[in-house]
Formats: sequence, structure tokens, C-alpha cells
Amino acid sequence: MAKPILDGIVVCDFSWVGAGPITTQNLAMMGATVIHIETHKRPEILRVTPPFKDRKPGVERSGYFSPRNANKLGLSLDLAKPEAIAVVKRLLTMSDIVINNFSFGVMDKWGLSYEDCKKIKPDIIYIEMPPQGRTGPHKDFMAFGSLINALVGATFLTGHPDQKPAGTGTNYTDHVPVPGHLTFAIMAALRHRRKTGEGQFIELAQSQAGVNMVSAIPVMDYAVNGRIQQRMGNRHLELAPHNLYNCKGERNWIAIAVYNDQEWESLKKVMGSPEWADDPKFATNEGRKANEDELDAKIEEWTSAKWHRQLMDELVREGVRAGVVHSCRDVTEDYNLVERGFWTYLMHPEAGLALYNHSPMRMSKVPVLSTTPANMIGQHNQQVLHDLLKYTDEEIKEMEEKGVLN
Amino acid sequence: MGSLSDIRVLEFASPYGAYAGKMFADLGADVIHIEPPEGDPTRSVWPFYKDKPDREGSLKYLYHNTSKRGLVLDITRPEGQEVFLRLVKTADIVIEAFNPGFMESLGLGYESLKKVNPRIVYVSITPFGREGPYADFPASNLTVSALSGWLYLAGTGNNKPALAYGEQAFMMAFLYAASGAMAAFYDAEATGEGQLVEISMQEAVVTACENACQYWDLEKIERRATEEIEAGRNVYECKDGFVSAMFSMGDNRYLWDPFWQWMNDEGRPDLAEIFGSDDFRGRAYRATDEAKKVFREKAEPFIKQFDKIYIYIETQKRRTVCYPVNDPKDVYENEQLNYRNYFKKLYHERLGGEVVYPGEVHYLEKIEWGLKPAPTFGQHTVEILKELGYADEQVNTLKEGGVVIG
Repeated sequence: MAKPILDGIVVCDFSWVGAGPITTQNLAMMGATVIHIETHKRPEILRVTPPFKDRKPGVERSGYFSPRNANKLGLSLDLAKPEAIAVVKRLLTMSDIVINNFSFGVMDKWGLSYEDCKKIKPDIIYIEMPPQGRTGPHKDFMAFGSLINALVGATFLTGHPDQKPAGTGTNYTDHVPVPGHLTFAIMAALRHRRKTGEGQFIELAQSQAGVNMVSAIPVMDYAVNGRIQQRMGNRHLELAPHNLYNCKGERNWIAIAVYNDQEWESLKKVMGSPEWADDPKFATNEGRKANEDELDAKIEEWTSAKWHRQLMDELVREGVRAGVVHSCRDVTEDYNLVERGFWTYLMHPEAGLALYNHSPMRMSKVPVLSTTPANMIGQHNQQVLHDLLKYTDEEIKEMEEKGVLN
Repeated sequence: MGSLSDIRVLEFASPYGAYAGKMFADLGADVIHIEPPEGDPTRSVWPFYKDKPDREGSLKYLYHNTSKRGLVLDITRPEGQEVFLRLVKTADIVIEAFNPGFMESLGLGYESLKKVNPRIVYVSITPFGREGPYADFPASNLTVSALSGWLYLAGTGNNKPALAYGEQAFMMAFLYAASGAMAAFYDAEATGEGQLVEISMQEAVVTACENACQYWDLEKIERRATEEIEAGRNVYECKDGFVSAMFSMGDNRYLWDPFWQWMNDEGRPDLAEIFGSDDFRGRAYRATDEAKKVFREKAEPFIKQFDKIYIYIETQKRRTVCYPVNDPKDVYENEQLNYRNYFKKLYHERLGGEVVYPGEVHYLEKIEWGLKPAPTFGQHTVEILKELGYADEQVNTLKEGGVVIG
């Protein structure tokens, strides 16, 4: 039986909120032992942010927190207490990776800087992920994912041309651009360590992940051509039709993207070959692009009288790139995802059954998926302190009494 | 300094781009970008260097293929398959984004490749997965973004959403592909056995849906964009463009109080009084239509009198957050990114000039990062064939038969 890829790898995880926890969850899904260090004194913001199970607030009930914290072990420590730092230092002796996204200086203050950690564990892989990097005039600037989106051009470039810039409506960089690059970097560092015995420092600037992912080409375009690209709704720089169209009902839209003349012919066929579509000005992509407003209006006239799901079936059957705009309700019920086993429900001690997902990295040897629900604060204290760190029951009791585990 | 130079990646050109290979290549891996005789479709994607359509000048092609070597090979021909299989023996990772079943139809699927090289890691990227009800759906970035629930979030109320800039469905799939490839390689090196890594774009994009699927699961709400869920959290017009503000975040006051105190510092105690009131300091009131209206009438004109950089700096000084909505020019000229020498220039002989590139996302202390120009069409074909042991006559025969170009 194959072992999980990161079997035996221990992660000392101080990260919270967005990009950090998603990264460590990637590692936990691959079998790493992720020790998620939190404090009861100040639960992280996502624990107190909706949605909540049954709409009842509670630090163990948030569905914002849970799907990014599966498969982790919860250890509660009040890091203001020296005894808590001593626990961390013992944990470090058996850790492979340390990760945090605190503000500058916090880890130093606790005596847990990279230099400090290296003394305890010479081959440690130590990760910092400041919003804009650890050097430069804005290194201390506070940020959230949606603001990084604004900073890097994602907000400006996303939205309808006749409206304000809008962005993705989410803290996008937190969810994939940062954790994606960071997971890759961590795997490269683990491999380097196995080869050479050396650990290393990794710095990931979240803003730079955003530019690389979203605005790289518009920035290059400006730098070499002097052009400032603009937002264009759901249209495409070169292709037409390429848009969302209203269908019957409310918030029911269909996405249609035509890449070539053959696909245009297929679309015409599904539309019932209306006379307008035979106008020579629509015969080529160039012509369609030049007459895009009219083209979109005509197509929408047709889609508005249709059910979006039915329409998708008809279009894809004829080879037209089409898809309904799923709400997240639709996504949890999406045929394809359900049949592929993407979703799972896990039983959480306090929140009850809640929705979790498979990793998009599907590995053939050992599945990479959520197996245990989000940790509660300090849920695994006994397991971590006693079984892993070999503290005696008396020592643990003393820690409890002194408030070290608050 | 370490490097990934002992890792060889074979990556097939695809209409989705080639960012996964770039991640390996920029850390020194030997990434061979394999193009069909008709060329990588990305080569014809707009915009071009100096706006001149040229096979070597597509900015997307150049960006996605830095630091790679280029091989033009027809794998639909038996002679081409033989070349490819010889390459596979020398390689660690294969990355492809063909339609499900295409590689199998050529006898080059994972099962065949692992007979040639049991350590091979085979990464397959498809829009909806290799299996499942949507497996054969024609797809595009727009339709995958629609069917994953992510697009729905980019809009408010009943408004049509707007697609994120920059083909993010593809980009997300590449990030997961790169991480999955590196992880599976790490495993293969230890166990001597590779595996199949399967990436479905749809699944990758669902992971960008923030808490939306859980909103449905737990609260039965189909959420949309977070813009203006409270007064003080939105994109606002300023003197020279727009800013993205997060003065409000639930019942936390630490972002809100500095905001109205700033109004006071700017000589507007009247506004500070309104927004510093007990009502405005809590989430409940700020979420009302009335509060949003007051904000629009009183706070927006205040914001509008300042430049975006001024607002950015002044709010940071006070430890609250309001970021500039940067356009591509602003990003290119950003003080912080430039301090960190993030943008790199590479001279391209074929183009007779320099192209500007975004730089590194992650700084790894012990693994060197660097950029080299993307390969020109067929640039390394002969070199690679010779490395594989093909004699000059054999190379010529392959060239004359149109199996390779170079």
C-alpha cells in the first residue's frame, strides 16, 4: 500500500485567515501532520465570520473557516506565556516546515525568527508570506486579498466597461494564486532538503503572485506597447460572440464562447438558422467582432426565451462551448462534480455535517482529499502534547492550570 | 545555490497556455516545450510585441514559456512517437492538456509511458476531468468559470457577473498542475514509482469560491460579490480613478475608527462626527440601505477629492486599508514592486528589442530563480535529438519527413 506523499512531514502552522491555511491544507491533504496553533484568547477572524451552521454564530461553526482547515491538528497555546514558547520550541525539534503570516516582528518578538528556528532545527523550511514582500517602502502595509486584487490590476481589469471596476467579488489572491505558488515552492524546498540536507527560507510576496497570475500580460503590453488595457465584461480580446446571455428566470445566464467559424455555424444551427445570422457581416470572426453589440443583442433575444440548462445541453451537443452560470448552490449539486466525488460531508463535533471538497490535485496512488473536519481550537492538545511531544500528564495538567493552553 | 536543473519536464503546447512548465523552468528545470508542426496556438494570441503579429512575438507565448527549450515534433506520426518515447525515458514529468483520450489514442497514455519509464509523473489537465458527465464538453475559460460557481460571485444583486481578467480558469489549473507535479515527482524519486496527476479546471476554479458553497450548505444563501455588504467596503471613485476600501469588516472597529479619525485630520470634524457615531461603528447599521446612502452622500465626496496614492498612504499611516485600483501602467510603475526589482527585461534577438516580464513570486533561499527568453519555433529541436543519440542523417530524415522542425 502506497503511503501519502507527505507522510511523516510535520508542519508547525501559525498561519491564519486566507492564503496560509489553504497552503497548509494542501500539505495536510497530502498526508503531512499539520499542527495548527491557535489561541482561545483571540480566535482568528474567519472563525467569527459567517456563514455559520444553522446561522448560529460560534467559533467552531464557521463555514468560512472550515473548508480550508480540514485534516489539521488543533493545538491551543497562549504565546504570550514563555511556557507556550517552550512548547513551540520542542515542536520545532521535530518539525520540517514552519509557516506564518503574522505582521512583521511578531515571530522575532517570540524568539521564533528564521535564525532562531534554524538553531533549534538546522534543516527547517521557514515560510513568510507578507502581502507585499519583506523589503521595500510598503513592506509593513496591511492588506486583505481583495485589496491585493486592487493593487495588482485585477480589480481594474475586471468588470463591465460602462461600470466601475469590480474585481472577482472575492479575496481571489488568497485562494489560489498565493497557495498555488507557495505549495509548489514548499515541495521544491522539501526536495532540495532531501537531496542536500539543507533547509531554507521562503518568502512569498502575495502581490507578486497576483501580478503573475492576473495582470502579467497587460503589464507587459503597457511596457512594450504603451497600451493600457481596459475591462471588457465577458467579452474576449479577439473572439465573438463571447459573452453571458440572459435566459428565462432571474439570475439565469448562459455563457457562450465561439472560437471559430465552424462553431459559429453550429451555434446558428442550434438557433434554428435565423435569417439575421446569415448576414455576411457575421460570417467571419473579424466581422462578428466588429459588429459585436448587434450580435450580442440578437443572441440574447434568442436566449431570453430559453431555459439556460436546456440550452446548454443543446449547445454542447452541437459542439458549441457553452455553460450555465452556476450559483454556488448549483455547484454543490453539479452533476459532474458530484459524480466525480468532488464533494464530501464530514461530521464535525460541534457543527455537525458540513461540506468539504476533494483537492483538485487528483493523485492516482493515494487520494488527496479532506478526511477529517476542521480542527477546533486546541482539539488535539492531548494528542500533540502527549503522543507527539512526549509531555507527561502532570506537565500537561500544569500547563492547563497556568493558562498556557488558553 | 541549488537548482531544479536535474529535473526534466516534457510539456505539450496547448491553447490554455503553459504556466505550469514555466514554474519549473524559471527554477532551472530542463523544460522541453513540445509544439506540433503547425505551432503552439498561443503563438498567435494577441497582443504582440510592438503590435506586430509575428510567430515569435505573442506576449502570452513569451510569458508562459520563459526559460524553456523548444522542440517541434509531430506525435501523431509513428516516427514522432518514437522520438517522444525516447524522451520519456530521460524525463521525470509529462504535462499535457489534450482532450481526454487523445494521448491514449496515440498509444502515449500514462499506462504506456510508465512501461517505458516507471518513474514518470504524468499530469493531465482537462476542463472538466478525464471522466465524468462533462468530460467531452467543448470548453473555454468563460464556460469553465461559469460552471464552477466562481463567475456568479463577480457581481451583485441581479446584475450580470463579469469574467475575471486573464483566463484564470486556465491559470488556476496550471498552478495546481505544477504543485501536483512537484509533489508526485518528490514521491517518485523516493519510491521509484510515478503516478497520474489529474487536474480538472472546473475543480480548480471551485476552490476559488471562497465561502460561497458553504454559504449555501449552512445558511441556504446564494451569495454574490462582497462589495458593499457594508458601507465603507467598496470600490469608490477618487480624484484620479478608483480606490478599493475595506474600512468596515463586521463588528471589528480597528479598521473603521481610523477612517473617521482621518476625516477629522483632514479638517472635517463634521464628517468624523457622523461616521464616528455609535451607529456607524457597528456592522448592523452599516449594512443598512440608509447607512450606505449616508456614506454615498457624505463620505464618497470626501474620498473623491484625493488621489488614490494619497488615500492609500494616509490610510496605511493610520492602520486602516484603502488600496489604489491600479491599472496596468500603475502596476508597472508601482514603487514597491520597483524597489524590489520585480520586473525583468530580456533582450530578444528575433524581435530586436527588450520585453518586460513579471519576476519571481517566491524567493527561495537555496534554489536559484532566473528568466531566459522563450524558445523560438524549433530552436532546440536538433540539439535535443542529438542528445537523444540521433545521428545527423536520422535528424535530416525526420526533418525532411516533416516529423520535426528545427
